[in-house]
Amino acid sequence: MAKNLSGELHVASANRLGDGLVVFLDDAGQWTTRLDRAALARDERAAEILLQRAQAEAFGVVDPFLVAVTESEDGTLEPLSLREKIRASGLTFAAIAGEAVRYA
Amino acid sequence: MPDTHFYRYDDYDRALVAERVEQFRDQVQRRLAGELTEEQFKPLRLTNGLYLQLHAYMLRIAIPYGTLSTRQLRHLAAIARKYDRGYGHFTTRQNLQLNWIKLEQAPDAIAMLAEVDMHAIQTSGNVIRNVTADHFAGAAADEIEDPRVWCEIIRQWSTLHPEFSFLPRKFKIAITGSPNDRAAVRVHDIGLRLWANEAGEVGFEVIVGGGLGRTPMIGKTLREFLPKDELLAYLEATLRVYNRYGRRDNIYKARIKILVHEIGVEKMRAEVEAEYAATKDGALKLAPETIEAIARQFAPPPLRPKRTKVPEVEALKLENRAFALWLKSNVAPHRVPGHAIVTASLKPAGAPPGDASAAQMEGVADIADAFSQGEVRVSHEQNLVFPHVAVESLPEVYRALERLGFAEANIGKITDIIACPGLDYCALANARSIPVAQRISNHFAELSRQHDIGDLKIKISGCINACGHHHVGHIGILGVDKNGVELYQLSLGGDVDFGRTALGTILGPAVEADKVVEAVDALVATYLEARQAGERFVDTYRRIGAAPFKERVYGAV
Ligand code: SF4
Repeated sequence: MAKNLSGELHVASANRLGDGLVVFLDDAGQWTTRLDRAALARDERAAEILLQRAQAEAFGVVDPFLVAVTESEDGTLEPLSLREKIRASGLTFAAIAGEAVRYA
Repeated sequence: MPDTHFYRYDDYDRALVAERVEQFRDQVQRRLAGELTEEQFKPLRLTNGLYLQLHAYMLRIAIPYGTLSTRQLRHLAAIARKYDRGYGHFTTRQNLQLNWIKLEQAPDAIAMLAEVDMHAIQTSGNVIRNVTADHFAGAAADEIEDPRVWCEIIRQWSTLHPEFSFLPRKFKIAITGSPNDRAAVRVHDIGLRLWANEAGEVGFEVIVGGGLGRTPMIGKTLREFLPKDELLAYLEATLRVYNRYGRRDNIYKARIKILVHEIGVEKMRAEVEAEYAATKDGALKLAPETIEAIARQFAPPPLRPKRTKVPEVEALKLENRAFALWLKSNVAPHRVPGHAIVTASLKPAGAPPGDASAAQMEGVADIADAFSQGEVRVSHEQNLVFPHVAVESLPEVYRALERLGFAEANIGKITDIIACPGLDYCALANARSIPVAQRISNHFAELSRQHDIGDLKIKISGCINACGHHHVGHIGILGVDKNGVELYQLSLGGDVDFGRTALGTILGPAVEADKVVEAVDALVATYLEARQAGERFVDTYRRIGAAPFKERVYGAV
């Protein structure tokens, strides 16, 4: 059960400059590809500060921005919007392709 | 026309591309070192065809008029393997997109492209983009003249043309040399159709102001018959008028279709003809030697007529139903008797439309070397084409394609779906396209059923930009976002066939993602019940109208 659906929880995200991969800012001010390591802002004020930190650490990434997330009971973060869900977890169609796609 | 306008493909092009690669290498270094901001760098990378998508950088590689040598195709496979994740996506613009290019390696990837005279220049920005052509060019039985000669002439004229480097908006040209329009010329900024007049002279019908996207429009005839040698002068006049009057204040109103719509085709014609009168006999008039020199690059392969009925083909047809169906849907008549044009389907059941792995690209190159004069084409319907296959080789080609997973007998059928990358990749998307295509494809996978349903074109776009051409699908599907939920708007009756080009009409409220297959199934069921002999889906729709389809779909979902 999600604790917060109102969009008050945020993480900071960007694309990594060198390879374009999706990254999140962690508590130590490093960019990580793992959403579960992302620094979490729990209110509006914290979100503002997080975004400022992300912008200050923007060397090496492209256009940092805030992503609204939810947090489940066990602390798992999940972006609210489908676009951000796909950014965080990757392509969605491999399972549907099943046997048909033979990428040798 | 003087030689200065016309560079020789080899030397000038190579020097130019090599110079651009080194420039880009330097720009990338400066960006990585923090000397350029993203704002400064973005236009530079876009000029080189490098986009930043949701998950990674994407490199869009131009494949001029969709023609590839096997050397080029193998090279593309090698680039996909070395610099990407081992696959690529063929697009509706006859381009190849590599979805996982690293910025650090992009200059090396582009340098490797240049080794086979390919590049990604003019695949972005407000310039004349890659000119597209009928993918059966130079081979089709119904062709009047090879349109690629003219694509190449336009390519040379337009590449880095100083006057047209900052057009109000991007500009797309398509050319067909056959009465069966396989290049969708009425939905391009300029469409050119080669045809022969009563005197037997071949010239162009010039069509202007077509396009899809946010404001779809069917192009209008600007000139019924233009002598071939006047093509560049006439295009230059048209582009000049557009450059002068096209709107730059509003990105949504900047395409030439809006200008033509706002001032009307008569006024547009008057403006173009006035501009043209001043320049028509100038430097851009094409000398016969120039045209001939380019035409020689497209000389047809020396094919000798052969047997058209081959016992082995006839025998396999009887014993293998899938092969018999494949002959019907994936094999088209060639201009030389005893030869055929084969389309390899990049739409096996459940696959993302238009994707090919590096191994598959190499497999296609092997087949083309063995059976198709070393030539491959990319179709705007996201398939690959072998333009010159002897009828007697069809069984072998079929078996080789089966091994690659590209032998699906579905060309023109309900699972030969055009789909844009959608929200799985695209930063502009509202909704996903690929999973929708996959589900429809899985649902209708049974080949006999597909052939019973007959020709039916489904086209899917993940947003209003319409890269998936949904407006001209017999069934068009457009992804929309409603409060964070993906919904799909269905439209019926679109068509790009010559003389029947039409934009689809929206059927009703958008449906949820998991209802799209049911909705398409309901559309097909309505058609199957109502169709008369010889009618395609779109013909039945035109005869009976939207109401029965609507009733069934909204009753079902
Ligand atoms: S139609 Fe929209 S979602 Fe699809 S590729 Fe084009 S811009 Fe992206």
